[in-house]
Amino acid sequence: MISRRALELATAILTGSFGVAVVVQSLDNGIGWSSAGVEAGTFPFLTGVIIVAGSLYNLVRGVVPTASLANVPVAITSIELRRLAGLFVPAAIFVAAIPLLGMYVASAAYVFAVLAIPRHQSLLHSAVTAAATALALYVVFERMFQVSLPHGALAAALGF
Amino acid sequence: MDNLSELLHGFTIAVTVPHLALMATGVLLGILVGVLPGLGAPNGVSLLLPLTFGMQPVSAIILLSSMYWGALFGGSVTSILFNIPGEPSSVATTFDGYPMARDGRPTTALATAFGSAAFGALVGVILITFLASWVAQVALAFGPPEYFAVYFLAFASFVGMGGAAPIKTVVALAIGFAIAAIGIDTVSGSVRLTMGIDELVKGVNFVVAVMGLFGIGELLVAVEEEFHARAVSSKIDWREVFRAVGRLPRHGVALLRSAAIGCWMGITPGGPTAASFMSYGIARRFSRRGRYFGTGEVEGIISPETADHAAGTSALLPMLSLGIPGSATAAVMMGGLMIWGLNPGPMLFVDQKDFVWGLIASMYVGNIVAVALVLLTVPVFAALMRIPFVVIAPLIVIICVVGAYSVSNSYLDVVIMLGFGIVGYLFKKLFYPLAPLVLAIVIGDKAEDAFRQSMLMSKGSLGIFFANKLVTCLVVAGIALLLLPLVLQLARPFRKNAAPATETPAQEKVII
Amino acid sequence: MRGMSLLLSVGAAVLAGSAPAYAAWQPQKPIEFVATAGPGGGTDNLARAVQNIITKYKLTEQPIVVVNKGGGSGAEGYVYGKASAGDPYKVIFGTSNAWQQPLVSKVAFNYTDLTPIAAMAQDEFLLWVKQDAPYKTAGDYLKAAASGEFKMGGAQSKDTDEVLTRMIEKVGHVKLTYIPFKSGAEAAVQLAGGHLDSHVNNPSESLGQWRGGTQRPLCVFSPKHLPQGPKITATEGWSDVPTCVEQGLDIKQYEQPRTVWLPGKVSPEQAAYYVDLMKKVQATPEWKDYIEKTSQVDTFLTGAEFDKFIKEDLDHVRQVASEQGWLVK
Repeated sequence: MISRRALELATAILTGSFGVAVVVQSLDNGIGWSSAGVEAGTFPFLTGVIIVAGSLYNLVRGVVPTASLANVPVAITSIELRRLAGLFVPAAIFVAAIPLLGMYVASAAYVFAVLAIPRHQSLLHSAVTAAATALALYVVFERMFQVSLPHGALAAALGF
Repeated sequence: MDNLSELLHGFTIAVTVPHLALMATGVLLGILVGVLPGLGAPNGVSLLLPLTFGMQPVSAIILLSSMYWGALFGGSVTSILFNIPGEPSSVATTFDGYPMARDGRPTTALATAFGSAAFGALVGVILITFLASWVAQVALAFGPPEYFAVYFLAFASFVGMGGAAPIKTVVALAIGFAIAAIGIDTVSGSVRLTMGIDELVKGVNFVVAVMGLFGIGELLVAVEEEFHARAVSSKIDWREVFRAVGRLPRHGVALLRSAAIGCWMGITPGGPTAASFMSYGIARRFSRRGRYFGTGEVEGIISPETADHAAGTSALLPMLSLGIPGSATAAVMMGGLMIWGLNPGPMLFVDQKDFVWGLIASMYVGNIVAVALVLLTVPVFAALMRIPFVVIAPLIVIICVVGAYSVSNSYLDVVIMLGFGIVGYLFKKLFYPLAPLVLAIVIGDKAEDAFRQSMLMSKGSLGIFFANKLVTCLVVAGIALLLLPLVLQLARPFRKNAAPATETPAQEKVII
Repeated sequence: MRGMSLLLSVGAAVLAGSAPAYAAWQPQKPIEFVATAGPGGGTDNLARAVQNIITKYKLTEQPIVVVNKGGGSGAEGYVYGKASAGDPYKVIFGTSNAWQQPLVSKVAFNYTDLTPIAAMAQDEFLLWVKQDAPYKTAGDYLKAAASGEFKMGGAQSKDTDEVLTRMIEKVGHVKLTYIPFKSGAEAAVQLAGGHLDSHVNNPSESLGQWRGGTQRPLCVFSPKHLPQGPKITATEGWSDVPTCVEQGLDIKQYEQPRTVWLPGKVSPEQAAYYVDLMKKVQATPEWKDYIEKTSQVDTFLTGAEFDKFIKEDLDHVRQVASEQGWLVK
């Protein structure tokens, strides 16, 4: 279970740290006016400062409870959290597996896993959907539009 | 009426069996690349380009421009059905198109989008037909300060409105600007904000950001709230296609206004993306049902779609008459013109009459072919909504992953896209608006370049933004649009006491 | 020189065609052409023209895919080439910014990370002014520029266009305000609209504008007149443009080569295969057609000649960059 307050805090910290990174990096590019006009770091620096200031405001507003009706205490219940994880974790594993397995094998495995493991569909049905997905990708991207999707380290090792 | 007889001559070139066949082929291929995010019209057109080297230039341009029309239409399909904009210019279509489709009305949403898109395109072609030389002169008047003023106007029309918590809007906007600045800076040539990752020198592509923010982000929201239960009920209904198109004339004001905005932004350097955002923003502000925007309003679909296509069509004019491409696809076609041995520029209209007028005539015919084909596909696409969520969800993930990858064949982009997915989910959940973020990513760096170019020209004086009538008008209009909501806000208590003053959850839902 | 290289390449093509054993290495899988420019840019057009010629004449059995990596003024493509070290299936198409960009900005590559194959064509530079500008020669232009600050447009910052602008400043004793745009085509439109005083575009970038009477070239930065070709306007063609030296602007030669690279750490046989392939491409009539339509000059530099060219250009650019304070620390 995650409270709205915790979520607000986490997001404000996320945006704030991005802002700090922007400010620090833009200092390298120079700020202000030079013979070459407005220097490259000026605008990123300003936006970075705005992000940091805004995030601080959101952080404070997130901590101090207000009368606003939108401030429901619970943002994500544990059941919702499980549903979110059920979608995101396999997707993240899929992305992580692409460099090794390649796009075709990884996506087929991904489709098969998310359909067959929670028993949404029969094994056969899942296998057919998975194979059809990989085949469609191959035909449309590799053949029709000549976009070469990653084949993966495994395929390279096997000599494809 | 010289142009009219030229146009009739053009029709005799365009309306031949081989050319009609080329149009249909081009449109169908275009719909396919448009539907698949990450491929997009520029890729499709550049792939077809080598095939056209052996063709007559006029046949080649008919094939390529038909593909462009098809892709423009196809780009709206995934925006409406899955909240994944395949093209930058169809982001604004997701704002009302997706809620309408999710409510079980995908057919209405698609048909409305296509119908208004065709209207926008036709207005754009008519403009090209009759005002070509005038338009070329107008475009020449735009130097860096005027470019900046146009971008400023687009921001002002979209960002200045109330709704979301103002500080969250500002944060989202600033993050968008910072993301736009990543990579090589045009004005100084230096590398910015790469965060120590060498590959980021190329910048963060818009499609990568949007696929994560909208596609994955929305998927997470949907799975959490179990939205998808409702969408399954949609059924195939051919009659609804025609009913939806038939209802369009009722929104005549919105159609005309959006077409005007689209043409204006297509001729000036704003382009289709800025046009669709600006049109949506203005519609939301001036429509009587403006506060329902974001929940599946018809005018919320009409406005961005009409403007997008009007701009996309009129963007071809600066390409032909000046040699500046108004869009990424136009840039590819321009490369094609050179290879076919034609030189875009003021003399094209004099030297290559058959080519130019054949192309313009093909725009009329091609758009009609495109809208007919695309309306036929509506029930097919709408049927996609009947696929159970558990099956469609992993497919959407794969589309986003492949789309992000194919933008520049980069695995890093896939990882960034997934990161944007989390950000998109958090922002949605906590009512940070996504639209200003996206708008800033698209035109933020262009606005910055134009500003700094102006500063170079004026040696640091802001007076350059008030140096002539054109730029002054644009800047003043932008400021007025920015201040308008404030003025209305101040005036409201005097006009009506009943206006709700506090944020309610119901109201927050409306915010995109 | 031009004729000779052509003869040589025809000879090489014949040789390679008749004796397949000559090529020790042959590609076994699809080849990727990486254009360090967006779709529609000059480098992209070159890559696609070469792809088209190779496919048409079946110069290789393997399919060829063109990939655009034009982000960061081309740096994206070079970084990609660096990361693909040892992979002979990636051919990178670029310009002189392969060695110029690392000098002036903190990009994560240097040309030494790549294996040079060839410089295939040279783009010329010209000095352009608005059609109704009062000056007729480069000398007049310099005189006018001395009394007022002129605005010079160009593509990108600290790249070829700006380097040339700074050279003009030095040789002509004038001060120019350089305004960088995304592309030469954009600068051309800005000149037509009267927002700039001049630019130094390549012929193909301003051809349409010249023909349309919005701008005209004053002189070409080349030791001799450009080759004879069809007339562009009613009275003039490229060969009628005087050289800058003739007009008192003492810059003898300034050209932009279109370059072809392999990633680093490939074998000499693999590099030799692609040198040979490019020579065969250059011997086709389609190539000549492409060169003529894009108003470029046909050249072929490879091996030691190409290395020498890079070294000379690098020394020269380094000097300009250090005078301007552009060198990265």
